[in-house]
Amino acid sequence: MIHPHRRMATTLLVVFGLTGGFVLGEEPDAVKPVPASEKNQGLSLFDSKILPVLKKHCYECHSKDSETIEGGLELDSPSGMLRGGDSGPMLEAHHADKSELLRMLRHEEDVSAMPPDEKLSDEVIAAFEEWIRLGAPDSRADNGPTAKEQRLEEAKRHWSFIPPQAVEPPSVAATDWPRNPLIDNFVLARMEAEGLKPTLDANRRTLIRRIYFDLIGLPPSPQDVDAFVADESPQAVEALVDRLLESPQFGERWGRYWLDVVRFAESSGMEFNFTYPHAWPYRNYVIDSFNADKPFDLFLREQIAGDLLPAEENESPEAAQSRRIALSMLSFGPKRHNSGGTEFQMDIADDQIDVVFKSSMAMTVSCARCHDHKFDPIPTKDYYALAGIFLSTEPLYGTIKQKYSNNPTDLLPIGKDAEAMHAAVVAYDKKFSEAEAAVAAKKKELTEATEAETLAAKEKTEAEELLTAITARVSAAQTEAETAADSEGATETEENAETESGTKPEADTDADTENQAEAQAAADGAGEATSEGAESDAVEADAAGKEATTKLEQAVAKLAEATARVAALKAELPKLEAAVAELKDKRPPAPQYAMTARDRAKPADTKLAIRGDFRNRGDVVPRGFLSAVNVPNAPTIDPAHSGRLELAQWITSPDNPLTARVMVNRIWSHLFGRGIVPTVDNFGVLGKPPTHPQLLDALALRFIEDGWSVKKMVRAIMLSRTYQLSSHVEQNNMKADPDNRLLWRQTPRRLEAEAIRDAILAVSGQLDLERPEASTVTGLGDKLARSIPLEKIQPPSRHRSVYLPIVRDYVPELFDLFDFPSPSLVTGQRSVTNVPSQALYLRNSSFVAEQARHAAERLLASAEATDDPHRVALAMRWALGRTPSEAETTAALQLIAEVKQASAAKAQEAAAAAKEAEAAKEGEKAAEGEEPKAAVEATADDGSANSGSIDAWSAWFLTLFTTAEFRYLVDIEA
Amino acid sequence: MTNDSSTPTISRRGWLKAASCGLGALTVTGLAPEGVSAGMLSPRESHFAPKAKRVIFLFMAGGPSQFESFDHKPALQAGGGKTGLKKGKLLAPLAKFAQHGESGMWVSDAFPHLAGQTDNICMLNAASAPSRAHPIAVPMMHTGAFQFVRPSLGAWVVYGLGTENQDLPGFFTIKPTRTFGGPSNYGSAFLPSTYQATRLGWEGQPVKNATIGNLASHHGLTASAASLSLKLAQMMNQPLVSQSEDVRGVIDSLELSDRMQSAVPKVLNIASESKETLDAYGIDAGRTDDFGRQCLLARRLVESGVRFVEVSSSGWDHHSNLDKFKSKAEEVDKPIAALLADLKQRGLLEETLVVWTGEFGRTPETQVLNGKETIGRDHNAEGFTVWMAGGGVRAGLTHGMTDELGYKAVEGEVVLPDLHATILHLLGLDHTKLVYRYGGRDFRLTNISGNVVHEIIA
Repeated sequence: MIHPHRRMATTLLVVFGLTGGFVLGEEPDAVKPVPASEKNQGLSLFDSKILPVLKKHCYECHSKDSETIEGGLELDSPSGMLRGGDSGPMLEAHHADKSELLRMLRHEEDVSAMPPDEKLSDEVIAAFEEWIRLGAPDSRADNGPTAKEQRLEEAKRHWSFIPPQAVEPPSVAATDWPRNPLIDNFVLARMEAEGLKPTLDANRRTLIRRIYFDLIGLPPSPQDVDAFVADESPQAVEALVDRLLESPQFGERWGRYWLDVVRFAESSGMEFNFTYPHAWPYRNYVIDSFNADKPFDLFLREQIAGDLLPAEENESPEAAQSRRIALSMLSFGPKRHNSGGTEFQMDIADDQIDVVFKSSMAMTVSCARCHDHKFDPIPTKDYYALAGIFLSTEPLYGTIKQKYSNNPTDLLPIGKDAEAMHAAVVAYDKKFSEAEAAVAAKKKELTEATEAETLAAKEKTEAEELLTAITARVSAAQTEAETAADSEGATETEENAETESGTKPEADTDADTENQAEAQAAADGAGEATSEGAESDAVEADAAGKEATTKLEQAVAKLAEATARVAALKAELPKLEAAVAELKDKRPPAPQYAMTARDRAKPADTKLAIRGDFRNRGDVVPRGFLSAVNVPNAPTIDPAHSGRLELAQWITSPDNPLTARVMVNRIWSHLFGRGIVPTVDNFGVLGKPPTHPQLLDALALRFIEDGWSVKKMVRAIMLSRTYQLSSHVEQNNMKADPDNRLLWRQTPRRLEAEAIRDAILAVSGQLDLERPEASTVTGLGDKLARSIPLEKIQPPSRHRSVYLPIVRDYVPELFDLFDFPSPSLVTGQRSVTNVPSQALYLRNSSFVAEQARHAAERLLASAEATDDPHRVALAMRWALGRTPSEAETTAALQLIAEVKQASAAKAQEAAAAAKEAEAAKEGEKAAEGEEPKAAVEATADDGSANSGSIDAWSAWFLTLFTTAEFRYLVDIEA
Repeated sequence: MTNDSSTPTISRRGWLKAASCGLGALTVTGLAPEGVSAGMLSPRESHFAPKAKRVIFLFMAGGPSQFESFDHKPALQAGGGKTGLKKGKLLAPLAKFAQHGESGMWVSDAFPHLAGQTDNICMLNAASAPSRAHPIAVPMMHTGAFQFVRPSLGAWVVYGLGTENQDLPGFFTIKPTRTFGGPSNYGSAFLPSTYQATRLGWEGQPVKNATIGNLASHHGLTASAASLSLKLAQMMNQPLVSQSEDVRGVIDSLELSDRMQSAVPKVLNIASESKETLDAYGIDAGRTDDFGRQCLLARRLVESGVRFVEVSSSGWDHHSNLDKFKSKAEEVDKPIAALLADLKQRGLLEETLVVWTGEFGRTPETQVLNGKETIGRDHNAEGFTVWMAGGGVRAGLTHGMTDELGYKAVEGEVVLPDLHATILHLLGLDHTKLVYRYGGRDFRLTNISGNVVHEIIA
């Protein structure tokens, strides 16, 4: 690791150390000082004025020895001074104006006032200014690395950054105990070392229920249980595990764990919450990947760089597509679609960095967005090296442009012939919009033509009027000219004419006015002519007349032309409209779409954002990975690409010390309720250390050896004796290790929301194991979640819980109550709470009540139990996988009797009321002389008996659903 | 303390047995699923002696104008019509101000009833918030953050203090909005879901018809059959306690659910309230009915030991209809005044912190919409009014001021993290110590800022 600042400071120090003293009181501006003397002056000033102030006012909070180093700023060493704090350097040698330190000392706005309690004197502040101007020389020696550098170095030696070490399973005293040495020897050796003994093995009933829920998230049927209990083969467990690993329900169970980790959701969350109708293909991709046991390293690579991976040999189009669907992981994160620009992009990159590193390496890298990571060896520089990669990546999340949604993107068409279908849709949309545009254009033309026609008609009328006017005036002028020989009234006439013309009824349009002026001009000409001579008058009047005639002819022609054009356009329009109508309902089927991501056109490095503020940029940081994690033979980023491919390779390198450990730890935590590293999403300095570090390493190495096979790892753990322990409490162990860190038993585990719901549906016989088409959200379209009625977001469903829509802030009620994690946050391990709202849900909700009735109907229809005690037992076998004790049977029969009685009483009341009504009716009829009808009562009785039974048996199922045993994996009596 | 209602009294029943995880334990376990089950809501010691034990948070969504309510601006009154600092025309306040009570606090005539409560109120006239956009400001006010999903104020408080009545949830929100973050505004984010609010109704729905999910049963069983079913389940649960302490949590939660089923409807049923009380809150009296009911419910809830109750009123976003301000104010004025008086009369006000706030306030200038001047004001987050009452605040104090026209805080500014820090402080919680470790870092409501405003604490 290079410490540029320290090196520079040391160099400066050497220079200063060799130079001599400084004369106080020397006027710095008087002589142009040579640099050496500047430094001398500065050093002297430092010793006399600066250092005492630092010691007195600053060291308490800003030195290696201070309790907490405030703002990461260390002022007790030259390198610390120059490096500055979390927000970067605070002084620039020779540039007082660029040094934030001075602004802080001056208690200026927008900076932290320092010292916070009292402002230093103006004289001292002036000394600081002068000292900076002189180059800020420092006479102190750097004694070792700063606390921050020390911490960084120490953090790099943190256990999780050191590659896993292969260790032979330790030998144990109880040699006959281990079943799978890879696991059991490590666990037992640790117990033996601490004086603990593993508890009893779990019985078959307990084991099959545990294995069913752990592998597929569903309860075993009574037949499954019976067969497993009866199977005496030592391979029974293995056979069961192998069978369930191959079941399609495996991926639905284990895929959901991954969906938690990548904060999968089908809406954008945040203050405006837009639906993501095309997020679901990723959900299916994850489930299918777990079912196919896709190597986990490849699974990760696909989600980070699926688009950039080379095609597998003979890769099917589906497989190629699924590599791109995998990238949805970078796109369905929570987003503020109302924002935009750099901030929007930086927030997305931040979310991507967070999800990629927490999910794969359990590192909280996004802490370094604003400052060097406080605990882990992740400098801000590393963050922006990664940010460059993700800012060079374009997330394709879809959405449409609407109010508060400013940034729609493309989507990935998927499915068979998707590209062709998408192209057809695009082509159709283009054609259709062109056809519509053609109609619109034609209509516009027609409007214009109609207007032109109107105008032409008007012009014609005007021309006619003009001609009439001229003809009239010419003849009048001729008459006047004839009389002019006798009188000299030409001028008068002229005036009269003008007056007459002027008093012509008000012109209401410009055209009229023009027309009027023309007529006037013509008349004037005629009038003038009178004073010249009658003959020439006549000629000219004739000319005006002719002109007007020509005009009229032209106007007539123009009108004819305009009328013809209108007619032609009118004739053309229906054809175009027909073309639109023809296309209208023929949009080719659109393909399915998925979210994805791709490289931007111009991948580039990004600049560091000081304190995370994108407006305040620092140096360009070359794209790269985490500097503290040493991965031999790490790929170099091709500058022409985003760098995602290389990042994915770096993360999934077998030499990456974290990735395999993190995943085996996740697997372990799902099978024991607690990880070997309890903080499954944080392997950093603040995370908890592994309880069995060697076991973790052994598993990680085995995982890699086994081709990153999740199924093999799950299988290996399940076939260990440790996994197959009972939950039986050994008092000595309990005292020594109440939290079961040493794995001396299986800790009872609460089922997750999904498993609880699926188990209820399985018991009621209502569970639909088919995968539903797309998602509920797909049908809702691109909407603001809040604009959708809740019952439309979460309509009733019989599908497995993994297929229920995950709209941020509007997850299904049962999920919300049973600790489903916030889908905006990366969650490797859910919290487990026991709160009354859960109890209320199980006791009172319409869903549970309805399923209890279905279960009762199923029970009553079952040929397996034909009397009540057997029904009590069968119901319990469905729900809990065991038969009831005598006391339980008695109590259950009591409950059933009580409910039946209540129902009978109710039915009797109803029947009595009905009878009364009937009697009244019959009475009326009898009065009219009709025969009374029989058997009404009997029918009613049958009906009520049946419904009473359903009431009663549903009460028993309700009871079973409410028990702890239903929602916890506990020991079951054999 | 007079108690004329059937409100259930505070009880601490058996399920506290497993309440071993106090504040300290929770802060270090983080998301650890072990041990955090039962007892999460049991009352916990605060960091230091609290002044307030519970909070009623009155949220006026939209950003109520301080100029028509509590910030008296004679200069703005005089300057109406003149050009303001932001080049708009100053809009003279549409309400008349007068001084009230012993403190001589200024209150406008839009709040005639609250004017009678000034000696209980601590007026903060120089509050400020980081954003003047609803979608950012609403989550900020509730969670201190907008870029990320964070726990809400109420969730933090219940996480810190638990709650006093184990028959009721610790945090209620009445008629919250579905917009601007919706449920995140009363959610628990990374805190266990136990700490999220129980919601009663939605914005726009009369509270009269609002219900809480799953209190009423759908199974159709008689009460005695339901009780028998519960007994049977508990009989089956009991032997499992030896395997897991968590099962005790199940047993306790079932017990509690049973008690809640009777306690919650009781506390939400206002039928037992006297006619005087109903009248005082303005219930069944037209415009004040709905908010009156909300306020009365808030009183009944805190009286029963609920830790945090948020009550929302929407429609304060007066861009162009400020002439309707008074009628909006009328909806809440009488109910809030009655709430304060009622709390006081019952001896509850002293330990109940009542907070009245919007997400921000408004500008002194006339809003121009589509080039036309309106009778309205735009958003303003640089200076607005928040008030508190009870819970250890200095009653009758007017703290801080904006400039003479009311653009921004110039003295005694209370920035949002300060407001949050002060609320927590009054509850005996140090905002820098109320932390929860998530994703490798200790989170707190005030993030990295916040100073307690000691001047306003009695």
